[in-house]
Amino acid sequence: MSGPALSIRGLRKTFPKVLAVAGVDLVVARGEVFGLLGPNGAGKTTTLEIIEGLTTADAGEIEILGLTWAKQGQEIRSRIGVQLQSTSLFNKITPREALDLYGSYYPKRRGTQELLDLVQLEEKADAYHITLSGGQQQRLALALALVNDPELVFLDEPTTGLDPQARRSLWDVVRRMKGEGRTVVLTTHYMDEAEALCDRLAIMGHGQVIATGTPASLIADLAIPSVVELTFDGAAPDPAAFAARLGQAVERRADLWELPTPDPKALLPRLFEAAEAAAVPFQQVHIRRATLEDVFLHRTGRSLRE
Amino acid sequence: MMLWRQFAMEWRLYSRDRVAMFWTFAFPVILLMGFGTIFRDGGGPKLSVVRVQALAPEPRDAALDQALADLQLKVITLPKAEAEARWTRGETAAQLEPAGNGYRLRLNSYLMAQAGATAGVVNQAWLMAQARLSGAPEPQRIPIQVESPGHKRSANYASFLLPGLLGLNLVSMGLFSVGMVNVSYREKGKFRRLAVTPLPKWIFLLGQVLHRLTVTVIQAAILLLVGFLAFGIQNQGSTLNLLLLMALGTGCFMAFGFALSSFAETSESYSAISNLVFLPLMMLSGVYFTLDAAPAWVQHTVAVMPLAPFLRALRAVFNDGAGLAGHGLGLGIVAAWGLAAFALAVKRFRWA
Repeated sequence: MSGPALSIRGLRKTFPKVLAVAGVDLVVARGEVFGLLGPNGAGKTTTLEIIEGLTTADAGEIEILGLTWAKQGQEIRSRIGVQLQSTSLFNKITPREALDLYGSYYPKRRGTQELLDLVQLEEKADAYHITLSGGQQQRLALALALVNDPELVFLDEPTTGLDPQARRSLWDVVRRMKGEGRTVVLTTHYMDEAEALCDRLAIMGHGQVIATGTPASLIADLAIPSVVELTFDGAAPDPAAFAARLGQAVERRADLWELPTPDPKALLPRLFEAAEAAAVPFQQVHIRRATLEDVFLHRTGRSLRE
Repeated sequence: MMLWRQFAMEWRLYSRDRVAMFWTFAFPVILLMGFGTIFRDGGGPKLSVVRVQALAPEPRDAALDQALADLQLKVITLPKAEAEARWTRGETAAQLEPAGNGYRLRLNSYLMAQAGATAGVVNQAWLMAQARLSGAPEPQRIPIQVESPGHKRSANYASFLLPGLLGLNLVSMGLFSVGMVNVSYREKGKFRRLAVTPLPKWIFLLGQVLHRLTVTVIQAAILLLVGFLAFGIQNQGSTLNLLLLMALGTGCFMAFGFALSSFAETSESYSAISNLVFLPLMMLSGVYFTLDAAPAWVQHTVAVMPLAPFLRALRAVFNDGAGLAGHGLGLGIVAAWGLAAFALAVKRFRWA
């Protein structure tokens, strides 16, 4: 049980006309929750599918639990758990039947009742899959990914499309996975999810890893720990002239201006003075800590939600 | 053990799908009962002729009426105006009206099958009537016997239809239960979810194929039982030959489904492609009606398609108790289609 849970070197994949993965290197330690963060089209899912053996890479090396697909495919399959972006089950299969069936595919398996308890689906254990809510279906998908008591679990956007309450309950399941000593690799395009769940993150954009680290270290590395926001009633005006007058970067996003700063206390008096002089019609002022969103924006010039 | 679980789960999920159950098990029985009962006498609709009343009846009119009655043709006698109205409504196949010193027959061009047969009977009656009027010896009629090609007396339509339905069921099983299901599994990512488990894919596919096989066996058994109970239809040939034929057909059309499914990305496009194959096969292969009336090029074309030769052999065995020997070419065509489809399926089948 030594060595990393997952290590990837120089992974590349080109689809017709699209460079999906352009040289990815990653190392995931055993027992950590590792997040691949990035907007749609950043190459997260393709990277994950190559690791899971669903897609073959054009180049690169992958070691999963010290095993390689070329030689030990069946052993990898029996030791990893996978939740795909959309797990499609038969409409009229029940969670109990699905867990029994998928469990029967593996040499080693966890009890169906235990898994139902883990994802809190006891009450829906005998309901048809099609009658479950989105959150319940997603929790079943997680239970299916755990059916073989895997050492390494891959979750592809586990909470996309769920309401806040369902997301929280799914986060609890992921934390329990970590508590049981499993390694979890997940993709997400939610900042709060990455901050709440992940021990370490790789920020991806355009098929490459832009930055790796803990959420706190990634934010600290920005050297601009705070952001002052001016909100407007309606669309924000062009900040160029104001930025020049203030001698401070001002970025416009929809209905607000963002002023990244290491020292908001020093900035604020100057800001109010300049705003009054220029008659800037702002409504409110907020000061907030920098988030992973700012890290992403700073590194790529793109918003995660684009 | 894994295979058994897979097979058992296919059955359990299938039994919950009431719509599929209806189309698979109930619908063919409904078709057999419905058409079998409607066309119970085997002769299609009863023949009838509309007779326009003569203004001043002559002896020949009475003689012709008598002869028509002797030949058991249904005669509807109407005044001229009413007969014309009926003709205009399109309900009359053949109308017999006085013309000069004799008669004239008008035939409805939309109902030529009935009208042609009626015209033959009317002419025969008129020959009889003329002979009787002139005191000549009564003309003798040649007796008719209805028989199937293998000399078995299976005159009712249900016995023609039943093998057709058996064959059609195999086609729809292959194209829809196998082909459609595989396209939707691929489209919805069920195959991908399976691919990340250690379950060998062949076990999944074999479980599915075995399930469809048992469905087909049960479906055929139900049809045969209903055919026997309702219409007294029995397999006239050897059970072994029937089983061999069904096995060949199942293999051929299942391979068809697998091959065809590889050409579609989505369920929608598959349903277009499969209907493009299914509908002509169903309409033109002699499932419901014989094809004697079709143009020669149509007959030649369907003879090299898989369903028509299959049904020909199946009817020969089932209805006429024939062996398979005389159907080597036809069965060769079916087998060739099956092998070609299988090769294509193996080459093109995709999991994702």
